[in-house]
Amino acid sequence: MSIRSILTLLGPFLALVVVYCIFGAMKPAMFTSDVVLSVLTQTVIVATAAIGMTLIIISGGIDLSVGSIIAMASVAAATFVTKGYSPLIVFVCTIAFGAICGMINGSLTVGLRLLPFIVTLGTMQIFRGGAKVYAKGTPVNLPFDVTTYKAWMGGSGLPYGVWMMVALVLVMTLVLRLTRFGRYVFAVGSNENTATLCGVNVPKVKILVYTFGGAMAGLAAVMNMAKSSQGDPTTAMGMELDVIAAVVIGGASLSGGEGSVLGALIGALLMTTIRTGCVLNAIPTPWTEVITGAIIVVAVIIDRLRHRRAA
Amino acid sequence: MKASLSLDLVAALALVSCKESGSNGKLTIAVIPKGTTHLYWKSVEAGANKAAAEFGVNVTFIGPQKEDDRSQQIDLVRNQALQSDAIVLAPLDATALRDAVKDVTDKGKPVVIIDSALADSSAFITSYVATDNREGGRIGARRLAEILGGKGKVAVLRYLQGSASTDHREEGFLEEIKKFPGIEVVSAEQYAGATATQAQDTATNLLTRFAEGDGLSIQGIFCSNQTNTYGMLQALRGKNLAGKVKFVGFDCDATFLDALKKGELHGTVLQDPVNMGYLGVKSAIDKIKGTAVQPVVDTGATMVTPENMADAKVAALIKTQVQ
Amino acid sequence: MSRDPLPRLQMRGIRKTFGSTIALGRVDLEILPGEVHALVGENGAGKSTLMKVLSGAHSPDEGEMFFNGEPYRPRNPLEARARGVGMIYQELSIAPHLTVEENIVLGMEPVMGPFIDRKEMRRRALEALARFEHPDLRPDMRAGDLSVSAQQLIEIGRSLAMGCKVLVFDEPTSSLAQKDIERLFLLIDRLREQGISIIYISHFLEEVKRLASRLTVLRDGSVVGTLDVASASTDEIVSLMVGRSVEDLYPRTARTPGETILEIRKLAGASKPVSADLSLRRGEVIGIAGLVGSGRTEFLRALFGLDHVRSGEIVMAGKSGKASPRDRWRQGMGMLSENRKEEGLALNLSIADNVTLTCLERFGSAGTVSPTKQQAATQRWIDRLGIKCQGPTQKIGALSGGNQQKAAFARLLEHDVDILLLDEPTRGIDIAAKARIYEAINEAVTDPKRPRAVILISSYLPELFGTCDRIAVMSQGRLTRAVPVGNLRPEDVMRVATGKADDLPGSSS
Repeated sequence: MSIRSILTLLGPFLALVVVYCIFGAMKPAMFTSDVVLSVLTQTVIVATAAIGMTLIIISGGIDLSVGSIIAMASVAAATFVTKGYSPLIVFVCTIAFGAICGMINGSLTVGLRLLPFIVTLGTMQIFRGGAKVYAKGTPVNLPFDVTTYKAWMGGSGLPYGVWMMVALVLVMTLVLRLTRFGRYVFAVGSNENTATLCGVNVPKVKILVYTFGGAMAGLAAVMNMAKSSQGDPTTAMGMELDVIAAVVIGGASLSGGEGSVLGALIGALLMTTIRTGCVLNAIPTPWTEVITGAIIVVAVIIDRLRHRRAA
Repeated sequence: MKASLSLDLVAALALVSCKESGSNGKLTIAVIPKGTTHLYWKSVEAGANKAAAEFGVNVTFIGPQKEDDRSQQIDLVRNQALQSDAIVLAPLDATALRDAVKDVTDKGKPVVIIDSALADSSAFITSYVATDNREGGRIGARRLAEILGGKGKVAVLRYLQGSASTDHREEGFLEEIKKFPGIEVVSAEQYAGATATQAQDTATNLLTRFAEGDGLSIQGIFCSNQTNTYGMLQALRGKNLAGKVKFVGFDCDATFLDALKKGELHGTVLQDPVNMGYLGVKSAIDKIKGTAVQPVVDTGATMVTPENMADAKVAALIKTQVQ
Repeated sequence: MSRDPLPRLQMRGIRKTFGSTIALGRVDLEILPGEVHALVGENGAGKSTLMKVLSGAHSPDEGEMFFNGEPYRPRNPLEARARGVGMIYQELSIAPHLTVEENIVLGMEPVMGPFIDRKEMRRRALEALARFEHPDLRPDMRAGDLSVSAQQLIEIGRSLAMGCKVLVFDEPTSSLAQKDIERLFLLIDRLREQGISIIYISHFLEEVKRLASRLTVLRDGSVVGTLDVASASTDEIVSLMVGRSVEDLYPRTARTPGETILEIRKLAGASKPVSADLSLRRGEVIGIAGLVGSGRTEFLRALFGLDHVRSGEIVMAGKSGKASPRDRWRQGMGMLSENRKEEGLALNLSIADNVTLTCLERFGSAGTVSPTKQQAATQRWIDRLGIKCQGPTQKIGALSGGNQQKAAFARLLEHDVDILLLDEPTRGIDIAAKARIYEAINEAVTDPKRPRAVILISSYLPELFGTCDRIAVMSQGRLTRAVPVGNLRPEDVMRVATGKADDLPGSSS
């Protein structure tokens, strides 16, 4: 990893450490394994979705429908479970379900040459509505005797979901840096015309990126179902903004060509830390929102300053 | 843009159907809930339909897509006023809906408010038909105090800022719990958030704050609606604390019944949404027909406990809210 | 023209360092009233730093400045403008939503109490605009609706309205069309006649020769000479700039055309070209001359699969039929875009990524890419083409235009294509980088083992005549035969390009 990309991550990472320590100084319980574990676990859903969103944002796109995909896929996942499918099939089918949603986003964006912002603004409503229609507006509860999924987002020790999140971040960091696909994602986001000129199959790369984003949302949906033991069509409302914020805090540029999954993970952790720290310190909820918002703005300002110095 | 366009379309279609219904001389009453997804509102709809069948009127049941979309609900009120003889409304916001409702009543159409209060509206609305939410909170407080034996530390997980009905429940609870000098409220400043997953995170963090060894430094918990009760229950289960703390919630679903049986939930306050829907529509009809209507109608709140959940009356009430 | 004995502007012993880098080492410069004084030098020679000192954006470490004989030391550009030194930058600073007159008085609006004195504003704007003799430019037009050249006039008007006596033009023609460039030159002539001193910074020696009376050459932060333009030859100026003698800017070793590797028959694009025939042989450079908009770029784009081909045939490596840019790269054809920023380069990626993007599959197996190998390959080109940078992982956007262009050119060399399509490869870059690219072109077509072939588009005739073996002219979408340069005069080419003749004289081979 080059020095420059380490520096890019250093800002968000320092912010995370500083924020964590400030809360910790006010409430030493922040440093107990219990709280660390809970922060990690609560980050899984946003971080998983943010891994997919990072690729989308690096490629110069955006996916506003990610929260809706999570909701719809979590309803699908819960339905699969109630029908008695094995966990492997539930995972595979739900991820595939999310991937199809993502592919729809990508195909519409590429095929009709529409702005992804507009396309996913539309599919955000379509997917959300679809989830409500299918679930008849009420959550699909898992049967009470199904306990297989609990270990993914709870139980004793590190939940599987946390391991999965860390593994995904490592794998996708390598994919972005060390594969042709990864380099093409950056090239498309940095300058689509250049990518075309250089013989990159831009439509294919874009569709793949959105499909991957959808698949990650599908995986996040399984985690969401595992966490709440239900598939709720109204879940993850507004989560797209948390996901995008995590990616941006992590140093990605909304104009494309820059970003890292490790940064997105740090961004997601930072937001969970603020939420947890505020509850632990009995800070009233509205202040949590103010602090989270302020951190996002500061992250963006730091990003601008960094760019100005580089230019 | 898109949403309001489709609303206009709905309004236009409804206008056409209204003319048709006008020809058969039936009254049309619009029932506008806060949302349409919760089972709770489906029970309200069932009650409204029951009244419709009984009194021979048409009922249009139409609500906003999101439970916090005040402006969409305002549009619904204005549009429905054009084609209905009366409106039964569960306002999303105590003040935001006030002007829209006043405009409707100024034109001579009665409006019955159900579920949640509308601020400073007693002068122009027909009736306020609701669970006495404060009373619901008080019932919860008395139950929690009873099972705690009148002493201990308790935490309240609130629902959402600006939601009048849950605010009242939380206030009612806090008022009543003060009467028990042995009980101390150690947290009432956290709001759970709009979705069950958010509520679960907040609840988990709150429990972490009161963690003490393998247990908790608090002995009692109160939650004010289905979302935060569900989130708290999941959080307790996730931390293996379910059953180790006395827990009183609000509303009901299948998971809650399971938890009541397992001793993880020690009581939940049930409203009577069917009755609310029924009495809401009935009050509107009475007003149109010139019959006297009570300005405030309490639809009642019932404490469901592991002990009484098998009673016929309670079981019937549960059935209105759990599939 | 009466010559004031006192220089309008004097800079004496200006020194400026950034850390350990000496950007300017004791520079002297004298500007006379009513002269156009050109400032030339390679990128990084210190031209911009010197002008930033002059405009108050930088303060010098040492040295003094005098304006009309009085000490002059502005603390910021606004103060410099108030004292009489105005800057016209490459990147215009126009508020697009304001009107022409509002832009002209921006920052120094005449007021009556709390209100803008619109009458006075109009008067000042008209007075400034009157100097341009540009009837189409009215004070109440919205600046954003105007062309780049008209916006440039606003910028000039702003300085004139403030009473500036020295105007600095920094690469003013880089974003202008040919006819606007001519117009700008006329305006500069007129401003000079009105006694305004002009410092003119440009890469284009032709422009300098057309406009300036004297020129100062900067190299590595020092003045290496001030010459009278009338008596200086291009070679003399160039050798001063690059610090070595330039026998020939356009190297040309013996070329022997080999087999034909590209046949184009009756090629027609979506709207342009209308019809183009060309056959290209190994070991030769064919130049395409023509006016901007004649269809030259569209011709290359259609050839490369970037634009739609309506009809006609392209035979390459024995194959014809539809081809995407991807296919073309595979067949051994590469293209250098005329538009470096918008198409040519991914500016926030590294040099290595930009150079190797077309052939990543060579840097790893099974879909992987080894950054180490990418960087090693790139380093070779950095050394061979003399790309000034911190290393292969530096963002390409941080390089100067000339070095960016060398890297864009390196992409074709790294892919090792047989046919290089070069669209304005030396536009807007400094003379040393140009020389390096001409060398690279010559090396490519004279490679003893595998001579390559080049199609070169250029608007600059000396470049075409210096580099190419044959030249064809595009005029209104039609391409003429390619005629050996030995049989051609520049006038012949211009006559066809401007539509005054239908075809080039002479035989086609």
